[in-house]
Amino acid sequence: MRDAREVLKSPVISEKSVGLVEENKYSFWVNPAANKIEIKAAVEKMFKVSVVEIRTINVRGKMKRVGKYAGKTPNRKKAIATLKAGDRIENFAGL
Amino acid sequence: MSVSVENVEKNVVALQVTVEAEKFADAVNQAAKNLAKKVNVPGFRKGKAPRRLVELHVGQAALYDEALDHVIGPAYAQAVQETGINPVDRPDVELVQIEEGKELIFKAKVVVRPEVVLGEYKGLSVEQDVASVTEEEVIEELKGRQQQHARLMIIEDGKIEEGDIVTLDFEGFKGDEPFAGGKAEDYELVIGSGTFIPGFEEGLIGAEAGKNIDVNVTFPAEYHSAELAGQEAVFKCLVKKIQRKELSPLDDEFAKDVSEFETLDELKNDLRNKLMKIAESKVKDDHLKAIISKVVDNASVEIPEVMFTQRINEMFEELNTSLIQQGMNMDQYYQFTNSSEEIMRERLRPQAVESVKRDLVLEAVAKAEGITVTEDEVNEGLENLGERFKQDPASLKQSLLERGQMEFYKQSLIQEKTVNFLVEQNA
Repeated sequence: MRDAREVLKSPVISEKSVGLVEENKYSFWVNPAANKIEIKAAVEKMFKVSVVEIRTINVRGKMKRVGKYAGKTPNRKKAIATLKAGDRIENFAGL
Repeated sequence: MSVSVENVEKNVVALQVTVEAEKFADAVNQAAKNLAKKVNVPGFRKGKAPRRLVELHVGQAALYDEALDHVIGPAYAQAVQETGINPVDRPDVELVQIEEGKELIFKAKVVVRPEVVLGEYKGLSVEQDVASVTEEEVIEELKGRQQQHARLMIIEDGKIEEGDIVTLDFEGFKGDEPFAGGKAEDYELVIGSGTFIPGFEEGLIGAEAGKNIDVNVTFPAEYHSAELAGQEAVFKCLVKKIQRKELSPLDDEFAKDVSEFETLDELKNDLRNKLMKIAESKVKDDHLKAIISKVVDNASVEIPEVMFTQRINEMFEELNTSLIQQGMNMDQYYQFTNSSEEIMRERLRPQAVESVKRDLVLEAVAKAEGITVTEDEVNEGLENLGERFKQDPASLKQSLLERGQMEFYKQSLIQEKTVNFLVEQNA
């Protein structure tokens, strides 16, 4: 099992993710190689909360080009953790 | 909100204002909302970012700045009202405590209207001069009329005399060479008007109509053209026409011609009455000024410098508006009068000092005597004003209210009443 710090990279800071906090759902950018079980364990360990459900989305990197050079931003994986009712993560995304 | 007042120096007051913690917190939240609409936080549409993120983005200082803009203004205004001070300048604000969740405390230092210590202002018995008109003044006036109504007669065969209007062609020569600007045709010249260089007009005296005459002149040493200054020249002139002012004799006939009166004596009487009225109003005016200046001199007041500066600024404003109406601007005015803003300020200063002091003293007198104006008096004043400017009093009132100048108008009425009061008391 991967270490929690290797799994969770950063919170997702966006209007949508902030809105989801209302529903007790917290979004993170995670290591694309990590699976839901690892993510669940990592969130529980790091924030001392109980996770009910993890959903993940693979976010394909974007094609970028600078002049004639084509490139690609990395693929990322987003995970949305639903916490047990009553649990919350303090200070999520600077909130 | 609570306020405490402290006198720092003469005419300077420090207000310590405490704003409730809640009120300040509200303001900060509101400020965050306002700022959120302006800043772009990635991941959020404008105005949608949460407060904490906005704060992280713009920094706490910017957030507080914005909040203070909305808190201090109203709080200061309220504090001024509660304490009843009379500021004449913008306050110097210093923050004592600024922290969210705690009370906001700030200190506002401001210059206030000075206290006027009135001296004696009643029963000063200022002498009023007696208005008088002398016989000479009437005659002088009559002669002015005579000049105004003079007829121009063409002199066919006669010689030029002082005061004649002469039409002539002329060309100037220096030696044998004509010089630039020395030539004109059908030029109308009033002999003795001093339009031309000295010697020219005199040289024409005695010339006859329809004849040529050479006038020898010497250009003055300080003549504007260096080429001609101090040089001798000859003007070859052709006198085309001589006109002379024919003065009607001062008799009943003249009176009939220029006025609605039948006889010269009646006209004289009328002129005397008119002159008397002017003299009377001048005497009255002088009397009034003398009373006011005495009252002002008797009072003592230490006026803060800003009040002068403000008055000078107002004067500048007025000057500027009147210049624009004449189609000029400040810069051109400076050029004409060979001055600059600093010089003008220095020049306007004594006037400003006097008028500020006068206003303050009159205000103090009004206050001491309880002089106020009623709504009716205001309306009456507006009617008079409307008549003078041919405007509807109601719309005049409307425009005064809209521009927030009703107070000023009332003040001016009070001042007027105060002046009348002073005249009554010191007659």
